[in-house]
Amino acid sequence: MGIKVDPKKCVSCMACEMACGYHRDDGFALLSSCIMVTRGREKRDYSAVVLKEEENLVIARPEGLEVRKLGSGGEADQSKGKEDASAKPLLLREPCDLCSDREDGPLCLQFCPADAISLG
Amino acid sequence: MEYLSTNKIAIVDLTNSKVSDQELDKELVKEKIGGAGITTALYEEYQKEDPVILGTGLLTGTLVPASALSIITAKSPLTGKVCHAPITLYAGIELKYSGFDYVVIKGNSSKPVYLWIHDGIADLKEANEIWGKDVWESTDFIRELMGDPLIQILGIGKGGESGSDFGQVCINYWASGDRWGFGKLFGQKKLKLVALRGMSLLEIADPEEFVRECKELLSTIKKGSFAGKKGIGELSAALGEDIRKWLEPIVHRHLSCFNTSFPTNTFVFLDEEPKRLKETDKEEPGFLITDLYGLLGFKKLGLSASDTCALLRESAKYGMDAVAVAELSQKAGKKKPDEIKKTLSGLKGALESLGKGKFSPWCPSFNLSTDEWERRQAVAYLFGIHPIFALMSPELSEEKLIELANLGTGLAFTAETLDKVIADILK
Ligand code: SF4
Ligand code: SF4
Repeated sequence: MGIKVDPKKCVSCMACEMACGYHRDDGFALLSSCIMVTRGREKRDYSAVVLKEEENLVIARPEGLEVRKLGSGGEADQSKGKEDASAKPLLLREPCDLCSDREDGPLCLQFCPADAISLG
Repeated sequence: MEYLSTNKIAIVDLTNSKVSDQELDKELVKEKIGGAGITTALYEEYQKEDPVILGTGLLTGTLVPASALSIITAKSPLTGKVCHAPITLYAGIELKYSGFDYVVIKGNSSKPVYLWIHDGIADLKEANEIWGKDVWESTDFIRELMGDPLIQILGIGKGGESGSDFGQVCINYWASGDRWGFGKLFGQKKLKLVALRGMSLLEIADPEEFVRECKELLSTIKKGSFAGKKGIGELSAALGEDIRKWLEPIVHRHLSCFNTSFPTNTFVFLDEEPKRLKETDKEEPGFLITDLYGLLGFKKLGLSASDTCALLRESAKYGMDAVAVAELSQKAGKKKPDEIKKTLSGLKGALESLGKGKFSPWCPSFNLSTDEWERRQAVAYLFGIHPIFALMSPELSEEKLIELANLGTGLAFTAETLDKVIADILK
């Protein structure tokens, strides 16, 4: 069971990132979110939604899903190509806990205005 | 100000190259709410020094749907009145997260400068290296210099630098809703750009209730009339001008401003296959359309969608309001892209599409009367709600926004507070 993102539906609004930030910090902040929209390639209009799980970095790219194994130090396996630099801070953060302490479940899912996030 | 706020106002004196900051007084928030209420008050306080005020809305950068907006308030070189322009995309929230709710930029610098606002610090820096560069080059320069591609930039190009009435303050690489010639004002002040970045934390007075209300509001909005629709073509169609077939062949995808359900922006590919999903290796494959009226203005000249968007791109690089470029080209009988491009330097003339009120005519009227439109804009510019989405979503009612403001701040705003502030900013 994990968070799934459909990048074709995603409109890069960052609501999931802010919702996760709230889940972590009980305030509005983007410091601790474990889900993130990469925005570093603005002129090329290329972005992905990246999620840090316990053991994987899951990258929902427009052309398809990529899963990278995280090493014991939390670093991602870089062999499959370069990561957007804007997603690097994610590696240092707590992994997704599926909002297990919330009665209503994953907050990112509830705040996605495009229904791009599901649980599967 | 404790909640939904960074509690800081930056005061930037360009004449003496001095920067200071002060606390955001809770009493001022109680009296003026936020956004245009407070930027207007700050404008009045510093008006002798011809200030440009940047300001966030009370709810900007939160989980309130469409809380994407910050604003620029200044005296328009075009109308001579104090007006407000929207700051959208991600730049609106970056201002708040950079550590300041408001920034007062007063006086004039004797040499080119830029303002770097990050993590609660505001620094004035010399801008000799970027003065003369276009909007795209300047944005690239700053991001590369700081090594951070997420820095948000409010900047001018040659339009504003050269004192054109139609010089625009652009957002990163794209057109903004500045239809007031604020770019000219930046140019006069020798202020090339404001760069924003930060990682603040905004506390909430009643977090659980606030977030619960936001969630409920979003689910109502998702059942609204724009549910499932996307992009500038749909927006135009809803306003009675269906450009979808004309634009669709070059559409790459539609993009939202921060936390806004309806993506009001559309990215088109001009030098790349539009349906491509993989990242292109072209550095500048296209353009993000953020301004419907610039698009319609060039379309009216009989141009193809590609030629139109290429001209929008040129206008944004030059830092010019595309609406003015299109309207004045039409008046001068210029219809060919090359001819129009040449008008960018030295563009002059009177505009029929000039805004008459306080709020940027970048936001369509949606068939509302002027009074209704102004009131709705005022509400959006006070609370920090995307001005176009505010008109698309009656669910974001005044009552709801007041309720959210109270839950978020612990203050006790009422309908009377709102009426009074709106009357003040419209007078
Ligand atoms: S499920 Fe919860 S912890 Fe996981 S990404 Fe979403 S908001 Fe963050
Ligand atoms: S909330 Fe949904 S649409 Fe917005 S960035 Fe996240 S996945 Fe994309």
